[in-house]
Formats: sequence, structure tokens, C-alpha cells
Amino acid sequence: MATSTGTGSSSSPLSRIAAALPFTRRDWGILLVIPGVVLFSAFMLYPIFYLFYISLTDATFAGSVIGGGAELIGLDNYVQLLTDSQFWTSMSITWAFVAVSLVIKVFVAVGIALLLNHARVAGKRYMRAAAIVPLGFPAIFTITVWRGMFSDARFGVFNVMLDYYNTAITGLFGLVDVAVFFTAVAVPTFLLVELPVGFLSGRWSAFFAYVTTEVWLAYPFMVIIIVSALQDVPRELHEAAMVDGAGYLQRFRTVTLPAIKRPVLFAAILTGATSFQQFLIPWVFNQGGPARQNELIIVYGYREAISFNEFGLSAAILIVAIAFIGLFMYVAVRWGRLAEGVDE
Amino acid sequence: MIDALRGAAALLVSKLVHFVTAPKRFVVMIQRAVHDVRTGERTVFDVGKSVFMTTLGVTMLLVLLFPLYWITAASFAEGTRLFNTGGIFPDPATYNLDAYRWVIFESDFFFVDGDWGYPQLLIGGGGLVPLSIDWIGTDTGPGALFNSLYLVSVTIVAGFAMIVPGAYAFSRRSFIARKRILYGYVLFTQIGAGLSIATLVALYSLFSAYGVTNNLFILGLFYAAGAIPFNTWLLKTYMDNIPVSYEEAAMVDGASFLQTIREIIIPLTKPGLAVILIFVWLAGWNEFIIAQTLLSPENYPLSVELYNLATEGRFQTPWTRFAAFANLFALPVAIVYFMAQRSVESGLSFGGMEG
Repeated sequence: MATSTGTGSSSSPLSRIAAALPFTRRDWGILLVIPGVVLFSAFMLYPIFYLFYISLTDATFAGSVIGGGAELIGLDNYVQLLTDSQFWTSMSITWAFVAVSLVIKVFVAVGIALLLNHARVAGKRYMRAAAIVPLGFPAIFTITVWRGMFSDARFGVFNVMLDYYNTAITGLFGLVDVAVFFTAVAVPTFLLVELPVGFLSGRWSAFFAYVTTEVWLAYPFMVIIIVSALQDVPRELHEAAMVDGAGYLQRFRTVTLPAIKRPVLFAAILTGATSFQQFLIPWVFNQGGPARQNELIIVYGYREAISFNEFGLSAAILIVAIAFIGLFMYVAVRWGRLAEGVDE
Repeated sequence: MIDALRGAAALLVSKLVHFVTAPKRFVVMIQRAVHDVRTGERTVFDVGKSVFMTTLGVTMLLVLLFPLYWITAASFAEGTRLFNTGGIFPDPATYNLDAYRWVIFESDFFFVDGDWGYPQLLIGGGGLVPLSIDWIGTDTGPGALFNSLYLVSVTIVAGFAMIVPGAYAFSRRSFIARKRILYGYVLFTQIGAGLSIATLVALYSLFSAYGVTNNLFILGLFYAAGAIPFNTWLLKTYMDNIPVSYEEAAMVDGASFLQTIREIIIPLTKPGLAVILIFVWLAGWNEFIIAQTLLSPENYPLSVELYNLATEGRFQTPWTRFAAFANLFALPVAIVYFMAQRSVESGLSFGGMEG
């Protein structure tokens, strides 16, 4: 790797040292990069290695990590993890969250993008600008707002909406009752919702509250990517297909789908990775409850450390999570051919 | 600086004009459709299909943006019984600004307990820089906004000091280990906030060991560190699009290295710099969980205060006050974001999307 600067004949000790270094005058650009690399490594990479070290100890709280109260216990934390039912609960709910929200996200985003790119929709440009508005708000803002929407209180937004729904159903059956006057028609109780619904205190209702919010957070990004892919499809392709007598569905399958497949896949990997790391939604909604059933992996790790003083175990959980995140990153970079610019 | 402000104002005005005149264009469109039907250029069925699709689009938008409507309406509904007992659509006749008055004069948003004061520059005293700011007229001191602003300033200054030279070197110089570092950065552009939360346990131990847990300056540096890979890569791809021949021509004319930076690179990268300014700003402004874990209450930034307001009581969360607080927290960000929307979008979807 060492390349001579061309002044190798000089014999002063300083230049001999310089020639021996794998570094030439051309390389001074690295000096501009090093501060950033150092700062990044100090705050991001070093803590990851330190986390790995903690995961090998029996540390219980921050003080015991530093104060020397913790001892190396090898891989015991990881063994304990594999036998901990809470770990498997957390892992399965995390992957369920990633999968369910991903499927809904893709369908919702493709639907929105197709509609907002449809030839018959007037004012598409304004609508597209409005549709991605959620992207402009801080995550902690949107998530706390959604928490309010899913409030368990009787006057929470979704409870009020369900109340409207109940009234509508009752009214509908009242009409039927008036029209069919020879029998008494009662409202079947299974069509009515008992209010108030405690959205965040049931396992699956809380889970779907998470999914709804996650989809709402992620759809603008996917819509941007899909719309830009749709606009790259040449009009002639659609027109040619139309001339050949292809209907809307057929054109979607043969023209649109091939054009958006790769961008959608790529966006799916990226937003899937963010879903996997989702912390704020479960934390703000109900801290991964009820009864720790919805603790996504990062929430699980965080709570083990902060609430239950199990730093060693927590570090092991988070190392497992980071390994998965790393996998996501690698796949995204490989599939998205993101690193192509590196060689330029 | 004044030029930039004037440019921003002009941009805002032109967008507003465009927005305000939208109804007129809409009317013209309808007139044209009516005309087309009259002259038989389009059938009623054809126009009907367009109307149906447009209505579908508008309905979908209304559903999607409902949470934002709700939070805005709620912020204007302080003290109205309609909001508490009647439903989710408060009567516009009862809109009032009481919730905002509460945020400004009673909450910790600007000053603790809303006890306003004004800053006074003190010269002399100890410390590295013999200057300090004293707050006059307030018994409680500056509030969460100032913590947020301080955090964000540290993040921006430190972030720019690392990102801009780094991006320049990656774009213009070839040096040892360049590819490897860049590849590492690209890997880290693809992660969300999860990684920093994952390292929080280690970070907490390390910060306690060095005694810097309750330190806004260190936290600002931490946010800057997290923002480095993505923004360096973004700015590097932006600089790649500036032809090298400009610099070469300037060099031939006898410009020094620093002159080419000042006269060519900085002016031509301004839009790219604006975008990374927004992203770096957001990195400091929006983060919540690390700030909450590491800081003590007197140093809480706005994001933590917002969360505390939302989770104060299980059933008696003051939604109207929360809404006003949340809007004041998020609106400046949203406005800046939408003014730079086009560039931000290209920043978000950059790389790999063409494939």
C-alpha cells in the first residue's frame, strides 16, 4: 500500500520515516475526515463494543459496571436469554409487528401513490404535497398525538368514533324496525361496540394501535419513493398497452408493477428495519404493556436495564438486536446498490 | 445572512400566493369541464369519472390528515365543554387561544412556570470565555426552549465542523482508507434511532463513569456524532455534482486553495448545506428518550416536556394544553421543512432509487 513520494533518494531521517509510513502527501485529505470518524466512533462504535463487554458481565446497574462490582461471566447472559420466555415473547411480537406493519404499509402506500398519480385526479400535485405532511412533524409529536387518539378515556377520538358508529347502527336498525312493522327488529348486540374500549390495555388492540401509528409514520416516505418511480414510467408504455386493449388491472400488472417493484422492495427493507427498532411507539403508548406482552425488542432491552436493573442481561438483548439491525443494514446496502457511489 | 432571510421570505410569499390562488385555478378547471361537456368534447360520464376519482383522493387525504386536524382543533378548544363531552369536532365558534396563553405564560415552554425575563450579557467572571448570560426579571430561569436551542446549537456547530470538511475530502481527494470509511458511513446511513437507543445502556454507564450524564453539551455532541454518516454521505454526493473544472479554472487563475473553497465550493453547495442543516437540526430537536434518560428535569428539552405533558395522568391528560404545546414545538420545524421540501425529498430518497 505504501507508495513512495519520489523523494526516496533523500537521506534525512525525517523523510525516511515519511517514506516508511503508508501515507503520502496526497493522503492529507484524510485529516479532514478523521475528526468526524473519531467523534462518530467515540459516541457510536465504542458504546457498541462496551455494550458487548457489559453483556459478558453480571452487572446489575450502571454503578456496578464502572465501580468494578461486576465480574466476567462469559456467555451466561446469552444462555439465560435463550431460556427466558420473555425474550421469546418479545422476539415474536417484534417480528409480528415488522411483518404486519410492512404488509399494510406496502398496500397503503402503493394505493395512495397510484391514486395520487392517476390521470383523472385533479390537483394531484397539491394532494401529493399534502399527503406527505406527516413527514414534517417530529416523531415524538406524532406518536404522542396518536396516543391521544387511542386514549382509553370515553372521549378519546376512536372511542367517540365508535360511539358514532353505534349510533349509526342503532339508527339503521330503527329504520328497518319502522319499515318492517309486523315484527320487532332488535339491534344484534354483536354489531355494537361496548364503550369505552381500552385500546391500550388489551394486548391485540394495543398491537394494532402500534401498527396503525407505524403505518402512518412510514407511508409518506414510501409514497415519495413510489411516486418518483411511477413518474419514471414512460407514458408511451401505458399508451401502447392501452392500444393493445389492456385494462387497468392488466396494465398495472405488466407496466406499473415491474417499474415499482425494486423501489418498493428497497423501501420495504428500510422501513422494515425502522419497525424492527421501533421504540417510541410502544414506550409512549403503554411502555410495551399490558403485562409486558408487547415489548418490542428494544423496549425489552431498555426496560431490563432501566426498570429492573439487569444491565448484563439487557446488554445481551441489545447486542442481539444490534446484530439483526446490522443484518438489515447490510441487506439494504447490498440490494439497494447504495455503495455504488463509493467507487466514484 | 440577510440575503438568506430575504430569499426564504420571498419563497414563503410565492408559495402562499400560489396556495391562495389555487381556488381560482380550480374554478377555471370546472368552467373548462362544463364547456367541454356543452360542446360535446367530453361526455358527462367521462367528467363524472374524473370527479369520482378526485373525490376519492380528497377523502383519502382527509382521513390521512385527520390526526393533524384533531390536534390543531383541540389546541383552540381550551375550556369549551364541547370538546370534553360532545365529541371530536369542537365548534369553531368557541375557538380561543387560552391553551396557547397557558403554554406561553404558565408552562415551562419559554421560562420555567412562564415567568418571563430578559437576558443580560455579563462580562468578566471565570470560565474559558469571560462572558456569561444572566436572566433578569425571572425568579425561575429559562425554560425548556432554551435547553433545546442550546442542544441544537451544539449539534449544528459540531456537526458542521465535522461534516463539511469530511464531505469535501470524500468528494475531491483520494486518500488511504477512503473507500473503507465511506462504505462504513453508507452502512450507518441505513439505521434509524434504534441503534442509539440500543447503545443507551452502554452510553449511560460510560457517561456516569465520566460524570457527564446531566450535560447538555455532551448530549449535543452525541447527536452530532449520530448525524455524521448520513449527512456526510449526502453532502458528498451533492458535491460530486459540482464540476471539478470550476476549481481547476480558478487554480489556473492563481486562486489559493482556501479561495477556491470560499469562492466556489461554499456558494455552489449552499442548497446541500441547507438540507443538512435541517437534518442536523432535527437530530437535536426531535430526540427524546436519550435526553430523558441522561438529563435531570432542569435540563429537559422540549421533546421530553412534551412527553411528560402527554403522560401526566392516565385519564386527565390536558389534551387542549398538550395540543397547544405540541403545535408550538412542531410547527417551526414543519414550516422550515416544507419550505425546503423539494430538496429534503431528494435527500430522503437519494441513492439506489433509480434502479
